[in-house]
Amino acid sequence: MNDTIIEFRNVYKDLITQDNNEVIQTTILSDLNFKVQRGEFTSITGPSGSGKTTMLYLMGILDKPTKGTVVLDGQETTALSEEQLAVLRNDKLGFIFQFHFLLPEFSSLENVMMPMLARGKYTYAAAREAAKELLEQVEMGNKLNSKPNQLSGGQQQRVAIARALSNKPKVLLADEPTGNLDSKNSAIVFDLFKKLNEETNQTIIVVTHDEGFAHRTRRILHVIDGKIDYSTNI
Amino acid sequence: MIINRNILYIAFRQLSHRRRQTLLTIGGIGISVMVLISAISLMDGLLQSFTNKIINSAPHIIVSGEKITNPVSDLLYKKDSSSTFIFYKNVERNDEDLIKNYARVENIIYTDPNIKLVSPVLSINVIAKFGIISQPMLVLGIIPKKADAITKFSESMTEGKFDELERSPDAIIIGSSAAKDFQVKVGDRINLVSNFGNTFAVNVVGIFSTGINDVDNNAYANLRLAQNIGNYLPNEVTQLYLRANNLDKISESAQTIKKNTNYDAKTWEENAASVISLYKTISSMIYFLVFFVLLVAGFGVANILITNVLEKYKDIAILKSFGYKNSEISAIYIIQGMMVAMLGALIGCLLGFIMIQILSSIPITPSQTSSVRSDHLEMGKSPYYFLLTSIFAMIVSFFASLGPSRSASKVNPVDILRGER
Repeated sequence: MNDTIIEFRNVYKDLITQDNNEVIQTTILSDLNFKVQRGEFTSITGPSGSGKTTMLYLMGILDKPTKGTVVLDGQETTALSEEQLAVLRNDKLGFIFQFHFLLPEFSSLENVMMPMLARGKYTYAAAREAAKELLEQVEMGNKLNSKPNQLSGGQQQRVAIARALSNKPKVLLADEPTGNLDSKNSAIVFDLFKKLNEETNQTIIVVTHDEGFAHRTRRILHVIDGKIDYSTNI
Repeated sequence: MIINRNILYIAFRQLSHRRRQTLLTIGGIGISVMVLISAISLMDGLLQSFTNKIINSAPHIIVSGEKITNPVSDLLYKKDSSSTFIFYKNVERNDEDLIKNYARVENIIYTDPNIKLVSPVLSINVIAKFGIISQPMLVLGIIPKKADAITKFSESMTEGKFDELERSPDAIIIGSSAAKDFQVKVGDRINLVSNFGNTFAVNVVGIFSTGINDVDNNAYANLRLAQNIGNYLPNEVTQLYLRANNLDKISESAQTIKKNTNYDAKTWEENAASVISLYKTISSMIYFLVFFVLLVAGFGVANILITNVLEKYKDIAILKSFGYKNSEISAIYIIQGMMVAMLGALIGCLLGFIMIQILSSIPITPSQTSSVRSDHLEMGKSPYYFLLTSIFAMIVSFFASLGPSRSASKVNPVDILRGER
């Protein structure tokens, strides 16, 4: 069975911006080739502007490469439509960002249920049960009915993590998940990730500035100027 | 595109979270729906009451003494072989417009099976004198039974009895408006002075009120009396009032009469044409104005939806990230627009219903110069006002939500998600 969950083949990504009526085309990523295996706990590091976040978004098929192919769970994604990509994301991926992006009008429980209800894969009752369990796993079991504005930063991020896990994603993609958190809450997040990876073999990819965090993961992809500088297994 | 239950749920929750804004917008739609329903009811009511009164008590066709003559071509003149000039005689006979030998004309008219009744009428202008009051009045000579079949005097008597008119040759009945001008009561004697200067004393045997000013401003007498006063022959009248069986065919009947009798015949629509066209102009203006009121409410809907979208870029981005399609995101805002419109229309219909009740109970001073008198506003009542207005409100809202929903579907998740630090 193929253990590669994500593969980049000759991937280029250009950014087109306008500066005083001049159209500028910048190449953010050039000729990326690498594989991510199931069960990896990998961080993507590199200086600001190196393209690591762009890389993450391409992995998450939120964005399309300018050239080249992104393969997700054995499926080539280049030719898929927006709708097809949305369905695929719902099926295979979970996202965590620096900001929690919880919907303010809904409770923790309802927020975690959202991805499960999006494509009709779960009934309301089943989604509710699953969401409850997930929130308990991230130790938010006592805040099921709280709205996001009633939670602390660390609590909000934990709800976001529970939400990212709700569809049993093949890959968890995180963009600076501890960026807004203090060290205590950062540690809680890291421990959660570690536990998930060790106990359920969850594939986790994290973009991070935090060197300490990166060195506690099991693989580092270091990106400079849109290319992979090195890849280290820890 | 499937509108799944969760989309409805998200749409609803977003609206109910911004309670004040949502309620204000619903209120805006509600008020404009109420205004539109009230305006339609008012206009429709006016038209209905006018039409009913006229149809019930006015003649369907009036045949008058105006002769129809075809212009006679007088001269044929050829300038060259390619043009021809025709001149009409510019001189006409100055006859008074009378229907002579009206019995014969009646017989001709009755050959049309659509004509139910012919009521001969002789209108004369007199000066009426009662006490110190002396003013012009129109007296119509009628054959009481026939005239009553059309104008229903006997049902409109406010004083005295209609039957009395037949009983004495010098009896007259006076319309309530004229009676008020003279301050007469039943039993009073009035002097009528004809164009020739002769004075006739008549008895007021009854006062009536039909609600139509054209009728209530006048007095009605026996045909023979009117012919005497105006110095007309017994076979002369000025008009024939007709009632038809089939209203849809009165135009045809009028044409037939014109052809067969050579007298002019006009249907009630032709006679009322100027009133009807004025009414149509006024009601068009009112509908136009009210339409704009509803449009403004529509802008209100567009406004809250745009605000919702602009303030919810983050939510839209994250929803797209975990699997909502662009079409589902735009559905959220269309649904919100429709929800607001439905609730607004519901409230507007309720308020409109109440407003109609209120307006129809307002007493108004009857006017002697309009066509139809009434003592309260006539409001139309039909479920169609509510149905059509509600549908219209929903259509306006739908179009108002198209712009915002398109914006929402075009939100690029990457731009938002990575921009948020």
